[in-house]
Amino acid sequence: MEKFKPVISLLNLDLLLFTAITAVKIGFLLGAVMGFTAFLTWVERKLSSLMQDRVGPNRASIFGFTLLGLFHPIADGIKLMMKEDFVPARADKVLFTLAPVLTLVPVLAAFAVIPFGNYVDVMGLRVELVIARFPLGLLYALAVSGFAIYGTFLAGWSSKSNFALLGALRGAAQMISYEVVLGLTLIGLLMIYGTADLQQIVREQGKLLFGFIPAWGVVYQFPAFILFLAAAIAENKRTPFDVVEGESEIIGYFMEYSSMRFAVFMFAEFIEIILISMLAVTLFLGGWQVPFLEEAGFLFPGGLALPVHPYLTALAQMGAFAAKTAFMCWALMTLRWTVPRFRFDQVMKLAWQGILPLSLLNILITGLALTLI
Amino acid sequence: MPKLTIDGKTIEMPKGATILQAAQALGVYIPRYCYHPSLPVSGTCRMCVVEVEKTAKLQIACATEIADGMAVRTDTPAVKKARRDVLEYLLINHPVDCPICDQAGECFLQDYYMDHGLHKSRIAPGDKIRRSKRRAAGKYLTLDNERCILCTRCVRFCDEVTRTGELTVSGRNDASFIDMKEGKGVDNDYSLNIADICPVGAFTSRDFRFKARVWFLKKTGSICTGCAAGCNIEVHHNEGIVHRLMPAPNPETNTWLCDRGRMTYKVLRAGDRLSKARIKKGSMEPEPALRQAAHLIDDAAHRAGPESVAVLGSPYLSLEDNLAIAELASGSIKTGALCLDFSCEQGVKDGILINKDQTPNANGLKLLRARYGGLDQNALIGLINSGRIKLIVAEARALNSLREKLRDLSNIPTVILALAKSDLDFDSDCVLPYASYFETEGHFVNYKGRIQKTAAAVAAPEGVQPLWLVLSKISSYTGAPIKIEDTKAMSAKLSEYALGKSVIPAICKPGSIAAKSTRE
Amino acid sequence: MIEIKKVDNRPLNLLERLYIWEIFKGFLVTSGHFFRNLFNPKGLITVQYPEVKRPLEYAAKRRTRHRLKVRADGSPKCVACFLCATACPANCIHIEAAEYQANPVEKYPAVFDVDLARCVVCGMCVEACPEDAIAMDTEEIPGGALKREEMYLTREKLFRNLPGEPSLKGAANRLAQGGKGIGRG
Repeated sequence: MEKFKPVISLLNLDLLLFTAITAVKIGFLLGAVMGFTAFLTWVERKLSSLMQDRVGPNRASIFGFTLLGLFHPIADGIKLMMKEDFVPARADKVLFTLAPVLTLVPVLAAFAVIPFGNYVDVMGLRVELVIARFPLGLLYALAVSGFAIYGTFLAGWSSKSNFALLGALRGAAQMISYEVVLGLTLIGLLMIYGTADLQQIVREQGKLLFGFIPAWGVVYQFPAFILFLAAAIAENKRTPFDVVEGESEIIGYFMEYSSMRFAVFMFAEFIEIILISMLAVTLFLGGWQVPFLEEAGFLFPGGLALPVHPYLTALAQMGAFAAKTAFMCWALMTLRWTVPRFRFDQVMKLAWQGILPLSLLNILITGLALTLI
Repeated sequence: MPKLTIDGKTIEMPKGATILQAAQALGVYIPRYCYHPSLPVSGTCRMCVVEVEKTAKLQIACATEIADGMAVRTDTPAVKKARRDVLEYLLINHPVDCPICDQAGECFLQDYYMDHGLHKSRIAPGDKIRRSKRRAAGKYLTLDNERCILCTRCVRFCDEVTRTGELTVSGRNDASFIDMKEGKGVDNDYSLNIADICPVGAFTSRDFRFKARVWFLKKTGSICTGCAAGCNIEVHHNEGIVHRLMPAPNPETNTWLCDRGRMTYKVLRAGDRLSKARIKKGSMEPEPALRQAAHLIDDAAHRAGPESVAVLGSPYLSLEDNLAIAELASGSIKTGALCLDFSCEQGVKDGILINKDQTPNANGLKLLRARYGGLDQNALIGLINSGRIKLIVAEARALNSLREKLRDLSNIPTVILALAKSDLDFDSDCVLPYASYFETEGHFVNYKGRIQKTAAAVAAPEGVQPLWLVLSKISSYTGAPIKIEDTKAMSAKLSEYALGKSVIPAICKPGSIAAKSTRE
Repeated sequence: MIEIKKVDNRPLNLLERLYIWEIFKGFLVTSGHFFRNLFNPKGLITVQYPEVKRPLEYAAKRRTRHRLKVRADGSPKCVACFLCATACPANCIHIEAAEYQANPVEKYPAVFDVDLARCVVCGMCVEACPEDAIAMDTEEIPGGALKREEMYLTREKLFRNLPGEPSLKGAANRLAQGGKGIGRG
């Protein structure tokens, strides 16, 4: 028994509990995100078909039930797994294999700092509804998602294909440019809330402006919201910023990929939509905040109060977060099927001559306003 | 010589020529059924009517002799109407069973109907007079009386060309029909020519029956290798399969083609054709088998000296192939036991075409013999029978022709070059296939000394090569190559060693006037 | 009547050059379609073929999978005249002819294959047939097979008569009924 003592002391109860709770949170969020991603692939097809007056996928069936084509993601998955896993003869095998991983992992890691609820008290223990809360959460999210550029570039370069390389070059240029402006659009917000802790930013947004307007980031920083969205879509490399793929000319940096390797790229793209939506919701749309719902319950302006059980509050807040995220996903997808593709020079011009000066102007104005008030 | 004008064009023809011949010489085509340039004129069909100035009625061009100052027109309304009416008359009782008729596509009724008829039938299909349908007429022919227009080309052919007279016109008037004489089938050696000259589908070939539609057939001019006559032929083939052989008339060689010559293509048929090599009775790809053959030659030459290898030329092979054989013997193996002596009595056997010499190239061997020398046949037979020969390299049919005079061959190893399995009536440990003369070019010298060339109509089976190339490869495997690796080297050798400056006459091109005239 | 659309090529004004308002307008158009179709799926114009088949105005001229008609005695009407194979621009018909020993029709197709994978559904074979033996009125759309072999139709798969057949059309029909000859000739 004696010799186990150091081990036991290392495994003290608090650490165990912390690990368990974190594991549960990771499992919950990862599960939700992955499930939602598969759902999104269906949504994208169905949504585009509906806005083009088509029916969309409705053929895959299990025992004759098609369920609005909801089995299509499953069929797609099976199909992709069955496909030949092709590696070009002259490709760099190691990097070629590594590239999809380097694309997917940073995107998933960024979810660690996204608060999906306020907190719950479980057996006297306060559990923050965020996987990892720390003061520089926003910077972490930006930094980690910036890693995705390695996946993009390695995929194109290791394929030893001219078209893939062309796509990768475009991708690298675009992602580096928009990485810069993406950060700059958020400076104004940081100045207002005075913190980079995302959970704290969300809590700040729970306040009311003039007693009845929820003090969400979009209210303070509407221009920044628009600029952020533009930059974020560009980061995501989706239409109108999909010159990287250039479906009509070069087919993109993952041109040589097939089977599940390709699926990983596609999956990463959809997960990134969720990430962008969650970031936008967290920063500008009040995160998990339900308007007028505070710890005690609903406190409407005018003195009307409605007590709500803490667990229900937590559920409502998580629901609100999910709903807002879903709305943002819908908006991003509708945008993707609305706007035609930019030319590459236009993409670059928009970043350096459009969003960059405007976000600097935004910082200036915000600074002036904060000084004056 | 009388001078006449046809459709405004003037021509001078020898006395006794007919209007049709004059028109042919002028390039004016007059439709005809019963007229055939190689048969006596009968004037039964009335299709060739023309208008001759100062005559009351239309005249038949095939039987009207020309006269000085004659003015003939072939395109007046009266002529056109007459042709139309003759055609309608001929078609009154025609069954129009073109879908099942092999003549469709080369039928004169079809062609002339499109050119001159285009009328609607006035006879209801049910009212047409029925006659007997298909029946066998000899070994190679099918007779369908319902399709017959009674032009009597077939009767005249049997009477005047083969002089066997199997056919006759039975009955009278509108009840007359072509029939075989009592107890006789059309069994002469040229019966399939009747299928050619029949302008409609009454006589068709039983061999070609339902094999292919004629409009699919591609035509390649070539030479018949059935005997020493060297008849010019057209090979009719489609999608790599030879379907029939037709005569390509050439005043120097042939107008007709005998039935035996027409059947020479049968050697290509899958069942009999040797398309793989046989080593010790096992079938294998030709290419590796060449090494086995080279080993056999090497082995015999090593153990008993090169003189123990006997090499036989073959009168069935082209000059190219025999040249390669001679080169193999004298240049590569360096044996004196080379035999190029296969001459036999030549001359037309039946007064028409068929030659007494059944081999196509005995005269070609004479050309090569002048250059290479070699033993005469009896000397070689003696050598083999004496037991000094330890290996024979020969073409199957050439060796077969010596079999009667040879001792038992069973203990002498052989390298046999063969085209057909049926040629192999003895055992051999090494049998090599080669491309037939439907699949490769080859020069042949006919009994008159005329040098002619076959043409490659279809592709040889996978891996099967011309015989001279086979020998060239064997020689390079033995280490003493004869250095004939491609057609360029071959033709250089050929003109140097055998042909000299001989001019090779061109084969009649398919579709040229000469080639057409068997059918017309 | 030719309509002329006048294109307004004036330069964009400031609001339009900002794009944001214009993008929002486009957004309204697409989401308008989206919600309209979401709440009223019956308004979609797509026809769910093949479950739903809309009667076509010119259905009589529609060309579908081939069939070979047969006579009352079960023998094919086809006499292997090769006219369909001749007319076929896709070279998808393979026929091998053979001879009947007893049947007065004399000729029949021992092999008659249609390779639907090559067929261009032009209907030329039907036009060319002098025997009224081939038709393209089975109402089965060629294609959509899981294996290449399923697209290769042999004689047996092609034989089919529709109600009201066999008809007596065709050049060789007289032979099938056993036309008698007069005398020997």
